[in-house]
Order: sequence, then C-alpha cells, then structure tokens
Amino acid sequence: MKESNIGFTWRMMILAFLLPPLLILAIDMTFFDDFKPIDSGVSFTRFTNATLTAYTLCSLFLLGNLFFYGESRNRPWAPLVGMVMATALGVLATVFFIGQGSMLLEDNGSVRAQAIYNIVHMFVSSGSILMAFSVALGVTFSAITSQKQRNNFELEEE
Amino acid sequence: MDEMLQAFLLFWIPVSMVPLGLWHSMSSPLQSSTKRGRFLSFTGIVLICLSPWTVPNSPSSAAGHLLGAIIGPCMLIILGIYLISFSGNVPVGKLSRSDRKIGVLMAGIGFVWLAGMHWWILTPQIAYNEVNPYWYVFWPTFILLTSCLASCSAVTLLMIGDQRKMESNTMFFVSGLSFILLLLGLNIDGPLVTGNEFREHLWLAVADMTGIVAGSVLSILVFAIVIYAYERNLPGPESIIPPTDSELKKVSTLIATHLGGEEE
Repeated sequence: MKESNIGFTWRMMILAFLLPPLLILAIDMTFFDDFKPIDSGVSFTRFTNATLTAYTLCSLFLLGNLFFYGESRNRPWAPLVGMVMATALGVLATVFFIGQGSMLLEDNGSVRAQAIYNIVHMFVSSGSILMAFSVALGVTFSAITSQKQRNNFELEEE
Repeated sequence: MDEMLQAFLLFWIPVSMVPLGLWHSMSSPLQSSTKRGRFLSFTGIVLICLSPWTVPNSPSSAAGHLLGAIIGPCMLIILGIYLISFSGNVPVGKLSRSDRKIGVLMAGIGFVWLAGMHWWILTPQIAYNEVNPYWYVFWPTFILLTSCLASCSAVTLLMIGDQRKMESNTMFFVSGLSFILLLLGLNIDGPLVTGNEFREHLWLAVADMTGIVAGSVLSILVFAIVIYAYERNLPGPESIIPPTDSELKKVSTLIATHLGGEEE
C-alpha cells in the first residue's frame, strides 16, 4: 500500500470512529429545540478525574510489567524506581488536585471519598469499554466467518 | 465492625482477588494453579456481586449491584457471539448449525435485556425508584463506543479488506442499531431514566472516555521514557583483545580448507 493511501485509510478510520458522536451532536442541535449544552465545568471535572485515575492505575499495571521486564536484565533497580516515582506522582497529583476544593470534587465530601469513587467509576467505565470492544470485535469476527469459505489458491490451481 | 474495614474486607479484597486470580491462572503452567486462579477470580466476582448485602453502607457496593444486574445479559451476548462465530467457516473447533441459531437467540435476548433496563422495568435500582448511579456510566459508554467501534470496523473492512462488502454492511448495521438506541435514549424517556438525564450522562461518558485515553497514553509515554532512559545509560559491551598472529593464521587455514569444492 502506498504511503499516501495508508494516511488516507487512517484518516477515514478515525473519521468513522468519530462519526456517531458528531452525528448525535448535529442531529440533537438541528432537530430538537430543547438541546441543552452540558455544563463544561462538570465535563471538565469528569475528564480530569478520569485522566488522573487512568494515569495512576495504568502506571501501576505497567509497574507490574516492569517486574517481568527485569527478568531479562538481572533485575535492575533504576527503571523500577523510575516507574514507582511516576506512579507516586500520579497518586500525589490526584490527592493534590482533589484537595484544592470543589474543582475536582463531584458529589463527594472528602478527598478519600472522591479518590475511591474515581477508582470504582474507572472499573465500571473499563468494564463498559471492554464489553463494547468484545461486541465490536466479536461481531466483526462472526461476520467474517459467516461468509462462504474462500479459495485463496485459485490461480495456483489453474 | 468499622465501616471502612468492612468495605475493605468485603469489597476491596474481593475486587483485588479478580486480577490476582487471573494473573495466577495465566502465569502458572500447572493445571492445579490454573484451577486455583480461576476459582479465586470466580469467588471474587461472587463476593463483589454480594457486596450490596454484605456492605450495604458502602457507596462502592453500588458497583457490585450493577455487576450483578448486567452480568446476565453481558454473558448472554458474549456467549451468543461466540456460538455465532464458531459455527461459521472456521478451520478448527467448528460448532453445529443449530448452535448458530442458539447464538443469535442468546445475543438478541442479551441486547433486549439491556435495552429493557433503560426503557422497561428492568432498570438496576439500589433502592425503590432510585437508579444505580453506575448504570448511567455503563449504558451510555457501552452503546456509544459500540457504535463508534462498529463504524470504524466497517470502514476498515471496506478499505483494507479484500471483497469484504457484506461483512462491512453487517458492521454498519450494528453501528446503526447502536446509533438508533442512542437517539431513542435521548428522546424517549424510560420509566426511571429521562432523556435529559441520558443526554447529560452521554456527554459525561464522552469526557470520561477521552480522559481514560489521555491518562493511559500519558502513562505509556512515561513508561517508554523510563525504559529508554535506562537502556540509554547502560554501558556499552566490553572490548576484547584483538586476535594474535598465530590465531589469525589458524583461522585463515581453517577458512581455506572450507573454501571451494570438488568438481563433479
């Protein structure tokens, strides 16, 4: 595949991915008078909480992976310490920003309650994302296997 | 017992048992360890589902309540898709044609069950007429992302796949179906979930997913930087002393004996 074609394909795939939410937004704004734009402050709070929690939990997961990476490198301490610090930075940033007041506190009264809510929220969101991926990949696979068997060696047989 | 300790023992320990069990079952080559790991994960899932009764005062137990409510339809969908997939043209482990019909039925019932949680009486409620707050997280995220991924898959099949128009149409159909569910959710109230509430949580789901992607990419970037910095600072391999004249002579004799060949 030519390089320009690869670029075009990627752009089309990204556009296809973004199409449903953009269409929903367009339809909602065009046909329904009662469109109420969501409070950007609430969205920003959710976005920031999700970013901080995802960063911290993903760093913890990668820290576990570093342990196995170390097996082939005589268990070096440097990357392990580096990743522990990166994870600790995520935890500290979360606590610091939530502690700044109402900016990142959703319906929770304390930093601890908000942090625990963020983690549980992340589990539910991740479960939902995992389920959506399972359905999309599963249906793609079943659509492919549902077709008649192809013969890839027609030319060779001729 | 202290509420925090109760939540730790009866919610958070079961939560940690799920990944630990999975890790244990996948990392060990022994059959007994695999079974132990699976049992640990299964026990964790059961205890999480029981958390609304074991730790009713903990707000986190609402997640356990949601898991108990959606595990049935989700398993039906996944098992249904599995049966449909492996009753088609697969080289190994092919299932019978009747499994395909059962699969379609199971996946259909699963989707109708989930839709019934929005527009019918099946909505997960933690108290009378009080919708589980995590349902507002799960449902919009699931249908929006399914629509996006199915649309992306359809275009990928068209552009990269070879003669995959039929498969692409199937994916466009799934994307369209999820999209219609989104539109219905925005405009038709359920018995407990109104269109405006759904709209609000839909855009929060978009913010949530964007945040998850941003946070994950950031942590992967930091991970790559840590590895890169470590590997770059490693000392180069130690140099060895050059070969002596006698060693060079021996090597050239050996090479000379292996060069050429006898003519036939």
